[in-house]
Amino acid sequence: MSALRLISNRTSQQALSNSDYTWEYEYYEYGPVSFEGLKAHKYSIVIGFWVGLAVFVIFMFFVLTLLTKTGAPHQDNAEPSEKRFRMNSFVADFGRPLDSERVFSRQIAEESRSLFHFCINEVEHLDKAKQSQKGPGLESNTHFQEVPRSSGMFEEDLNCLTKFNIPNFVNTEQNSSLGEDDLLISEPPIILESKSVMQSSHRILD
Amino acid sequence: ENISDFSLNITDCTQVVVPEEVFFTVAAAGILENLLVLIAVIRNKNLHLPMYVFICSLAISDMLGSLYKTLENIFIILCKMGYLTRRGDFEKKLDDAMDSMFILSLLGSIFSLLAIAADRYITIFYALRYHNIMTLRRALAILAIIWTFCAGSSIAIALFSYEAATVIPFTILFPLMMFFILCLYVHMFLLARSHAKKIASLPTSTVHQRTNMKGAITLTIFLGVFLCCWAPFVLHILLARFCPHNPYCACYMSIFHVNGTLIMCNAIIDPMIFAFRSPELRSTFKKMFFCAR
Repeated sequence: MSALRLISNRTSQQALSNSDYTWEYEYYEYGPVSFEGLKAHKYSIVIGFWVGLAVFVIFMFFVLTLLTKTGAPHQDNAEPSEKRFRMNSFVADFGRPLDSERVFSRQIAEESRSLFHFCINEVEHLDKAKQSQKGPGLESNTHFQEVPRSSGMFEEDLNCLTKFNIPNFVNTEQNSSLGEDDLLISEPPIILESKSVMQSSHRILD
Repeated sequence: ENISDFSLNITDCTQVVVPEEVFFTVAAAGILENLLVLIAVIRNKNLHLPMYVFICSLAISDMLGSLYKTLENIFIILCKMGYLTRRGDFEKKLDDAMDSMFILSLLGSIFSLLAIAADRYITIFYALRYHNIMTLRRALAILAIIWTFCAGSSIAIALFSYEAATVIPFTILFPLMMFFILCLYVHMFLLARSHAKKIASLPTSTVHQRTNMKGAITLTIFLGVFLCCWAPFVLHILLARFCPHNPYCACYMSIFHVNGTLIMCNAIIDPMIFAFRSPELRSTFKKMFFCAR
């Protein structure tokens, strides 16, 4: 009997130290919980929860992998023309042969944005047979964001970008393809090296 | 002599105790790492972009979570050493304040992840108008709204945490947000896949199937880490509210400190999968440490 009391003393002391360690639980007023007559294992919720979570994560992974392999072919037809234009522009952009290091920075994003605006201005100026003097101005990369955008500009963009779609201009290597991890991780997915973009645009439009 | 008065059974689920050294190490690592991310973004002008603003917001909420756990541990140590009483009014208020800090951290994390996903979504689907839609000022305004809402609801939840009406929306919000973020990313994913298909259909392409796996792995890591680190705690809150006297629930609640450590691990892992993936931020780090030497 004394041995039993020792054990129960120890557990009560442990309970006290536990309640010291977790004193804020007193608000919930956890009364004594009896563990008599449990049908399943006492940690069954813990085990079930973690197993369920693992199964869910693995299931999600397989669904995502399946999406990459099979996917929905009808999605290409269902997209609006604006998206298709954007994808054509992406294809043209990503056709550039890339170096192994890709520069993600504000300059790149703005310069690539300004590349399109450069196109728009170029289309306008070509009609007037005016050489674009804004090439070197692109290095400052601030003013072209203020070029007003309207939906009518997209056709001009399209015309401009068809000039980019030269077959030997498109060079697809593995490191130039649009990896999903780049989309999911990095900034605006225009992966271009700034100087080479400017050079190529000058080369093409001259 | 009446042993039945001691209703504590030997087969009780006793609290699983995480050693304090582990706690403090994990918490300190989380706080340091996120502080470094913040400093790097503030110091580098190139990183003053909406995307990095949202990553900073995630870093702040992770720091708050780790800070909460550190403070709570210090509090408990002070209680053990007898400097603070367990039932004092001041301690109860302090505990409420710390609870609200923790809920603020959780809500801040969820909304920051949502903001990051939405920012990437706009980047991809509205790429040409991205810089007009998501200016830095708008990003800061969005953050202000998010954090005000999180602060308000965390104070409300902490004050009324004993009502079912606060626990249920809190636990419903969590999977709803996860589902929404998952939908955004899956849609982006599908577009990236069709891009890859378009590039693959060009005559000179040599795109391998392997590159598609990386996206699936990355996305699974994003959402899997968040789920595995926060869901145990959310389940704990549910069980504590609805079945505190059930032995199975009590056994689950005995691993509360492991769940808390998981949340701090989330604070350590999040910068690695969000902030440090950006080469610009990595180079800023190198510069910072190089100059410090």
